[in-house]
Amino acid sequence: MLIRTLQWIALLGGFVLGYPRPAQAQLYNGKELVRSSLISDVNSIAPGQKFRVGVLYRIEPGWHIYWKYSGDSGIPTKIEWQLPQGFKAGDLQWPLPMRDKEPGDLNVFVYTSEVLLFAEIEAPAALPPQPITIQAKSDWLVCQSLCVPGRAQLSLNLAGGGNTASDSAPIFQRYASLVPQELRSPVKVGFSRTGKSLVAMVDGIGKDMSLDFFPIPPEDAVIGHVGRDGNRLTIPIETEVKPINRMNGVLVAGSDDRRQGYEINERTVVGAIHSQKDFLLVGFLGLLQMLGFAMIGGLILNVMPCVLPVISLKIFGFVSEAGIHPKKAFRLSMAFSLGIIGCFAVLAAIVVLLRTAGAQIGWGFQFQDYRFVILISCLVFAFALNLFGVYELSVSAQATHGLANLARGQGYGGAFFQGVFATVLATPCTAPFLGTASAFAFAQPGWVTFLVFLFIGLGMALPYLLLAINPKWLRYLPKPGDWMLRLKQCMGFLLVGTLLWLVWVLGQMRGVDAVVQLGAILLVIAILAWIKGAFWTPISSRRSRVLAVVGMGLVLCLAAASYGFVTEPSQLVWRPFSKSALDQALASGRPVFVDFTADWCITCKTNERFAIDTPKVRQEFLKRDVVAFKADWTKGDPEITQILKQFGRAGVPMYLIYPSGNKETQPLLLPELITSETVLDALNKT
Amino acid sequence: MIKTLLLTCGLLAVTAGLSLAEAEVGKTAPNFSLPDTNGKTLTLADFKGKYIVLEWYQPDCPFVRKHYRSGNMQRLQKEYTAKGVTWLSIDSSAPGEEGNYPSEKLNEIAKQDGAARTALLLDPSGDVGRSYGAKTTPDMFIIDPKGILVYKGAIDNKRSTDLADVKTATNYVKGTLDAVMAGKTAPATATQPYGCSVKYASR
Repeated sequence: MLIRTLQWIALLGGFVLGYPRPAQAQLYNGKELVRSSLISDVNSIAPGQKFRVGVLYRIEPGWHIYWKYSGDSGIPTKIEWQLPQGFKAGDLQWPLPMRDKEPGDLNVFVYTSEVLLFAEIEAPAALPPQPITIQAKSDWLVCQSLCVPGRAQLSLNLAGGGNTASDSAPIFQRYASLVPQELRSPVKVGFSRTGKSLVAMVDGIGKDMSLDFFPIPPEDAVIGHVGRDGNRLTIPIETEVKPINRMNGVLVAGSDDRRQGYEINERTVVGAIHSQKDFLLVGFLGLLQMLGFAMIGGLILNVMPCVLPVISLKIFGFVSEAGIHPKKAFRLSMAFSLGIIGCFAVLAAIVVLLRTAGAQIGWGFQFQDYRFVILISCLVFAFALNLFGVYELSVSAQATHGLANLARGQGYGGAFFQGVFATVLATPCTAPFLGTASAFAFAQPGWVTFLVFLFIGLGMALPYLLLAINPKWLRYLPKPGDWMLRLKQCMGFLLVGTLLWLVWVLGQMRGVDAVVQLGAILLVIAILAWIKGAFWTPISSRRSRVLAVVGMGLVLCLAAASYGFVTEPSQLVWRPFSKSALDQALASGRPVFVDFTADWCITCKTNERFAIDTPKVRQEFLKRDVVAFKADWTKGDPEITQILKQFGRAGVPMYLIYPSGNKETQPLLLPELITSETVLDALNKT
Repeated sequence: MIKTLLLTCGLLAVTAGLSLAEAEVGKTAPNFSLPDTNGKTLTLADFKGKYIVLEWYQPDCPFVRKHYRSGNMQRLQKEYTAKGVTWLSIDSSAPGEEGNYPSEKLNEIAKQDGAARTALLLDPSGDVGRSYGAKTTPDMFIIDPKGILVYKGAIDNKRSTDLADVKTATNYVKGTLDAVMAGKTAPATATQPYGCSVKYASR
């Protein structure tokens, strides 16, 4: 401490004496923390020549100095050149720093052991008289867990005339190789904004390579820590004065000695790589695979319980006609298939339109947006419940009737509408899959959405196209039966698996609280679905339906209320409890209320919400100037345990009211279940 | 039915999102109770109805020294406590870390500096520092009489340890307090703080 004080005196002496001062030793516990020297890669220079000068910092082990963006704390190292007339200095070159983490989730960008910060200098055509003196003033902050500022005034003499390399030239070569390169092919970066996050998509870097981004945010912005998921980097923007749509910085690929930095500055061309790209398997093969799955999905739709019987009745007769008029039947099948595919095209168009409309009003349909993930999770869960048979979806009778009329027509038009009809009729079974597919399609570019839906349609139409070619294949078709129902239920598990993945995504983004909240939302959906399945079916009576609506309303109100219950902050001014704080409050002569509670104690929370933190009680507390203590037993505080024992209680809740102005009186012990009146009565008694 | 479901999901999803936010400008500042260097426990909520300045403090940090040696911090403390502002300095240094001193020592430093704060609070666990997201010393927070956080970030715009910079810097704390106390909107709501890292305990 003495040394630190002395050091301060020395430093402050410097401030008082004023600047500039000559290079001074910066001592800490007798050690020079940073030794700086000004060096050049040449000994003598020719007129008009370009050469490099730099400040070499040798840093004591365990200490660090800062990069041009210091991170959450620290200060960038500074160099000011003082050059003879006519000399011009280029930008300061910064070798790649390290990201260092400090307690308290603080991230800083630092140099350890040794670094050279340098610039290119251009000599004028006419050299001044010798020796040519280059000067540099440098300020830095050197930190370990504590920080000490340092500065140096450095100078270097160069001869004029020749162009001879100096002994320091290899140092320049080494550090020049550590300066980030210009971003160039095949590495590409694209930025996009999702709410309060700037997302950078990086292309051209190996999947298993480490990837990081050292940002250089604008002066007036406040940013959070960069997060990485695959080739997507997320930069949380906390404050911005001008909207931030891209950011300068250094992209860092690889780890340890193999790190390569790529500079992103105002001149860097950044591509419009869509952040959805990694969800859509990149490339042609990926797309093919996706379309393959879409087609298989469409094919599976045919064996859903409400599709296969329809097909058996209506379509097989029409396909078997092929034996008599092969050519006509083939064309009819084509028209029928087109009807199916047409339906899917319309669905795709609706999805794309909605997505465009949504994007216009600023909705980001991306998996980086947690709200989108929550929404999709809800949909997937609701559809899974449908597949399990908790509730059924039904198509409106009017629409079915109208379509049936159209489908009655003869010829190709009739066949086309029969295709449409079959698709619409199949909705109750296919909606879960198509709904899920539509939801996911929201995160894809329009044309991909279109293709995927067309291929689902193609998959569904595939059997008829094949049967039209060879009706004999009819016998390979499975017969309808109970197995279809089981298959449908199994598909429900597939969706639950998808849900699990979504929950994981959400958990990564927002943490365990968000996951639990999603769980609660899903519970509400499950109850709503169950009410719908039990009391609102096509055969339900009017009364039953009214009951269903009332029930759903009640559930929603209850959900909203309990949501407020969970999240509404207490309006009472609570103080954390401790024996000494209690004594202090009692000594002040004010009445005291102590709430012994715990986060896991539902009775406690209910009492707090409905008996204690109520307008009446708040008003009375204010009037009587009551000091309210919250004794939180969530983690089993021993001091609280002791007091509970003292009053013969094994656990919470427990409520004590100390009357005013008398330290000696015993407190009033309230029952475990209380109402506002209990509290008010007790206050009046004291 | 689908419509109802979607609507429910949507509403719940939106409301769920709101509650996950952290301590932010424009939102209620997190409440806390901390002992001060005189052994008295202070609760933030007790100061409701007044403007409150929170100053993250660590006596040995060169950036903090800059503002005390130049008299800048004391001037601000005097000026605004005289106008009824509560000025709470908070030391979140963990035991064994720089700046974690016994109360007597901190009181002595305060006396030497001529500090004019309302109180210096001790937060060795770093819980309050973390709940505010305090990163550096100094890191400044301004809370309005309704308990809403109106500013967080740097004390001024000259990010250095140079005493001379204090004179030429734009002071954000002064700017914000003068504006909001006159009923105007603050010129800036948040800036990147600068200074030494808060010496939190490692977890």
